[in-house]
Amino acid sequence: PSAGAALRPCSTRVAQKGINKPVIDRIIRVDHAGEYGANRIYAGQMAVLGRSSVGPVIQQMWNQEKVHLKKFSELMVAYRVRPTVLLPFWNVAGFVLGAGSALLGKKGAMACTVAVEESISEHYNNQIRTLIEEDPEKYKELLQVIKQFRDEEQEHHDIGLEHDAEATPAYSVLKTAIQLGCKAAIFLSERI
Amino acid sequence: VRCQQYPPLRALQASAALRRASDEHKKEPWASSSQQHFDSPPAGHQPEQKPQGPHPSYTGQGGQESEDYESEEQLQHRILTAALEFVPEHGWTAEAIAEGAKTLGLSVAAAGLFHSDGSELILHFVSECNRKLSELLKKEQKLVQLGEAEKKPIDEFLRDAVEARLRMLIPYIEKWPQALSVLLLPRNIPSSLNLLTSMIDDIWHYAGDQSTDFNWYTRRAVLTGIYNTTELVMLQDSSPGFEDTWRFLGNRVADAMTMSNTATQVQSTGEAVVQGLMGAAVTVSN
Repeated sequence: PSAGAALRPCSTRVAQKGINKPVIDRIIRVDHAGEYGANRIYAGQMAVLGRSSVGPVIQQMWNQEKVHLKKFSELMVAYRVRPTVLLPFWNVAGFVLGAGSALLGKKGAMACTVAVEESISEHYNNQIRTLIEEDPEKYKELLQVIKQFRDEEQEHHDIGLEHDAEATPAYSVLKTAIQLGCKAAIFLSERI
Repeated sequence: VRCQQYPPLRALQASAALRRASDEHKKEPWASSSQQHFDSPPAGHQPEQKPQGPHPSYTGQGGQESEDYESEEQLQHRILTAALEFVPEHGWTAEAIAEGAKTLGLSVAAAGLFHSDGSELILHFVSECNRKLSELLKKEQKLVQLGEAEKKPIDEFLRDAVEARLRMLIPYIEKWPQALSVLLLPRNIPSSLNLLTSMIDDIWHYAGDQSTDFNWYTRRAVLTGIYNTTELVMLQDSSPGFEDTWRFLGNRVADAMTMSNTATQVQSTGEAVVQGLMGAAVTVSN
C-alpha cells in the first residue's frame, strides 16, 4: 500500500465545465480582495481629505473602485469562489493606509494612489498573461473585465501623478514600502 | 456541484494477482495508463487484453480511455459500490469489499487493492452520499425555478438538506461510529475534511447564499457545527424514526437563525448609537 489517496475533483457545474478551477479561484479571490482593499484605502483618504480640494477627485476614483468591487463580487458568486479569510484585516489595513497617507497631505494621498495603482496594474497584467496562456477563448469574458479594470487603474495612476504625487517628501521610500505591502497582500490573498 | 472521487490506494501486485485469479467471467481489460505502475508484470501475462465481446459499458467520470476500456479507478469504484451492501453485516472492512468483489464476479483478492481499515470504502460512501445530496438539491432548485415548488425559507431549507443527508446513514448506522473513527485518522483527515467542507458549501450554495465577505466563513462554520452535532446525536438516538434527532436538528437551526438575527440587531443598534453620539457631539460643539 502506497501513498495517500489522491483527490480527483469532478465538477458538474454547467457554467464551469472545463475551466481551470484552481487558477480561476485564485484570480477572482485576489482581485476581489484587491478591490475591497482599494475601496477601503479611498474611504480612508476621503475621511481625511474629503473636504479639501482633491476631495472630488478621490471621490470619483472611489466610485470607480466601488463598481469594480461589485463586479468581482458577482463573479465570485457565479464561480463559487471562496473569499479570502483576511478580508476583515484588509478592511482595517486599507483604511489605515488611506487615512495615514492622507494625513501626510494631499501629495501623500496621491503618492499612495500612484503606488497602489501601479501595483494593481502590474498584477492585472500578470493575470491577463496567465489567462491568455491558458485559453483566451474560454476566458474571454473574464479577460475583458480584467483588461477594462486594468485600464481604469492605470488612469487612476496617471491622475495621481498629475496631482503632484512625486513631489511628496520621501516619495520613493513611501512608494517602495506601499508596493511591498501590496505584493505581500496579493501573495496572501491568493492563498488564504 | 463539487464531488470527489477517491482512487483508492493501489496494491499493485495484488491487482495483477486479481487479474490472474479471475475466472471465466467477462473481464474488463486494464487501461494502458495504469500499465506504467506495474513494475513486474507476472511472467507470461499480457498487460493489455483486447475487449472480449460486448460488455457493460461503465461510463465513469474519469474516462479518458475509450468506452471499451474500464480504468482502474472505475473498477475500484464499482467494487466499492458493490461492497456497501455488505457493510451492515461485515462493517467497513476488507470482508465487505471481498463480498462485494464476489458479486461482481471478481476474486476476493480484490480486497487487496484497498487498505485494510476500510478507509477507501468509507470515503467512497461519503463521496457518493454527497453526490446524491447535490443531485437532490439541484433537482429541488430546478422545480423552484420552473415555478412548480415554493422557495423554502432558509431555516427549513437547511433543516431539510441536513436531514436528507443524515438519512443516508440510516442503513449503516450501526457501523457508522467505526467509520467516523476511521475518517478521523490523520491519514484520512485531509480527504474527509475536504468532503465535509464541500458538502456544507453545496448546501449553502443551493440555499442561496451569496455572501462575499466574512459571513461566507461564519455561515459555513455554523452549519458544520449543526451537522456534526446532529450526526453525533443520531448515533445515540433510539427513538422511533430518529424523531429525537430531527427535533434536535430543528432546534439547532432555530438557534442559528436567532443568533444571526440578534447579530444583525446588535449591529444596527450599534450603528444607531454611534450616529446618536456623533449628533450629540456636533450639538455640544456648537
